[in-house]
Amino acid sequence: MSLGLIALCFLTLEGCTKTSGETGLTVAVNAGVEGQALKEAAKDWEKKTGVKMHVVELPYSNLFEKELLDLKSKTGAYDVIMLDDPWFPQYATGGQLNSLDNLYKGQGLEGPESDFIKSTLDVCRQPWATGSYYALPYVGNSQLFFYRKDLFDKYSLKAPKTWTEVLQGAKKIGSAEKMYGYVMRAAAGNAVVADFMPLLWAFGADIFSPDKKPALNSPEAVSALKFMLALGEVTPPGYTGYNADEVSAHLLQSTAVMSINWPAWIGPMDDVSKSKIVGKIGFTQIPSEKNKGQAELGAWLVAIPSGSKNVAKAFEFIRWATSPTQMKVAAFRGNPPTRTSVFDDRDLIQKFRAFPAQKESLASARPRPRTPLWNEIENVFGIYLSKANSKTMDPETALNEANKEITAIISRNL
Amino acid sequence: MARRRVLWIFPALLILVGLSIYPLLYSLKVSFVTIQGDWGISNYTRILRDHLLHVSLIQTFIYVTGALTIELILGLFLALLVDSLGRGKYFFRGGFLAPMLLPPVVAAIVWRLIYNPQFGVLNSTLKLFGVATEKLTWTSGEGSAMASVIFVDIWEWTPFMFLLLSAGLQSIPVEPCEAARMDGASSFKVLKDIILPLLKPTLFLAILLRAMDLLRIFDQIWILTQGGPGLATETVSLYIYRTAFRFFNFGYAASMSFVCLILVSLFAKSLFRMLKMSVV
Repeated sequence: MSLGLIALCFLTLEGCTKTSGETGLTVAVNAGVEGQALKEAAKDWEKKTGVKMHVVELPYSNLFEKELLDLKSKTGAYDVIMLDDPWFPQYATGGQLNSLDNLYKGQGLEGPESDFIKSTLDVCRQPWATGSYYALPYVGNSQLFFYRKDLFDKYSLKAPKTWTEVLQGAKKIGSAEKMYGYVMRAAAGNAVVADFMPLLWAFGADIFSPDKKPALNSPEAVSALKFMLALGEVTPPGYTGYNADEVSAHLLQSTAVMSINWPAWIGPMDDVSKSKIVGKIGFTQIPSEKNKGQAELGAWLVAIPSGSKNVAKAFEFIRWATSPTQMKVAAFRGNPPTRTSVFDDRDLIQKFRAFPAQKESLASARPRPRTPLWNEIENVFGIYLSKANSKTMDPETALNEANKEITAIISRNL
Repeated sequence: MARRRVLWIFPALLILVGLSIYPLLYSLKVSFVTIQGDWGISNYTRILRDHLLHVSLIQTFIYVTGALTIELILGLFLALLVDSLGRGKYFFRGGFLAPMLLPPVVAAIVWRLIYNPQFGVLNSTLKLFGVATEKLTWTSGEGSAMASVIFVDIWEWTPFMFLLLSAGLQSIPVEPCEAARMDGASSFKVLKDIILPLLKPTLFLAILLRAMDLLRIFDQIWILTQGGPGLATETVSLYIYRTAFRFFNFGYAASMSFVCLILVSLFAKSLFRMLKMSVV
């Protein structure tokens, strides 16, 4: 009832876009680069089929709250929703999304084609990697390691393969070139967690142990955080407030040598109107340390809410939008694909030089823990990581406190 | 006759019940529902143990008192200054209001760019004057973040104080001030013994309005720091928003909102009492 009331207030405007009796589709997309291609695809679908498409663009955090309100109260305001993969476990519980298994069966198919990169398909299943499909992957986002290839060549260094090499290279090139050796996102919340996860995994730690208990107080996790602080020494002062914009600004302005970054920032690096480093940057895999380096997955998925009255049409649209032909069109528009065949397309490789690195990163990328409580866990973890980076808490205490808080979150929600 | 009166106020009553009273009672009910859907007072008992909430309450208190005190002093100073001008009063009154006309979100985005330690205009300007800006990280520093967000509020909302107090000053009769001056009272004495006592009702009103606005601060902090670094700028409204719309725990968010409502009501009541006493 309460959700219904809130949803009613929030969704009134969206609801106005669809008049009664109209059989068009309403699509909720992220108001950013990730949503651009799906928005264009919706226009193309309208031209192709005559189905009226209403696109509702919402900023990242609003998209989450409006979609979840719609799912919980089953208002049917949206027929297709675009979602960030960490939201999926929260969305896919309690029959809030339409299972795609039956829809595939209805068309005489087993399920999504094996052409989709496995890591992106796994996050569309509930439970992860084994359960039914509730979404299809549309944006193949995973972290990449950006480094100044020209400067590494100048100092006869190879692309860093380990985090130790990253720190050594950062110190050497940084001091010689009077630049910041490294730059990272460490604003509290999602930003600092996203940049810390590859370090945590590479140092042999994880947020949860194999028996699903919080394990952030391990010696390996402490080593990873201490290493993050060491990287902080060669990162611009004030990085504890940095998000993607600030990190990329340092790379574009040629004031920093390396960083973890996302595919959306590959284009601007080679854009003469924005960048001072056109053609000078290299893209490689996330460095290893004790374990092989793995990027954090940040795929965007498309799904059909169970409240939708146009399930068949919506399924037709998402299958078409994620088809190889259409995904190639979207890739030319700047959307990172989720299909092997599209990544291997010669025309695309010629246009996007980072495609081979992106494909490799995506194939081995690791998702964030698959729990409906992720937002709360990420928030508290981010607070303590931020405190450690601000040097107001030592790494051991910060991780111990984070571990305690995460344990409390889980026991509260049991 | 009485029935007819009720009929006339019925539409207004309906709107009030539908849009204010029913949602308020409903959210009170929600505040007793746990995340598992059970009934109980666990949301309220959690408030006593939740140290993240306690930290955010302290931060809110620092934010409100810091911003309010400076805005009040600056607003009063500017109002007195402009009021004493022979010419150009209207020009300055209009000019001082400019920051207040900007939507808070726009002001916060502008200040976020200004505060950027490496590319922002603030550090670049300070550098021109020979200041070492390497460690001036403004919103990114745990020690400086709160002061930086308070400064943005002062920049944007001091004009509001100025406007209210200016109006208050204009309503003060000139005769008592002139009589005091003729009797040889200094400007300070006139201010202390005549202007400020007569301005008290306006001062209390300004404090009340501004304090209530400051207590529910959200947009500026969300854009400038999102509550970080760490918990340095986390305020109650940010924490309640996250609990409701990021963690989807409406019960706990509602219980925190009610506790805040009680605290704000107590504050407002004590201020009203002071106002009443000052007027009497």
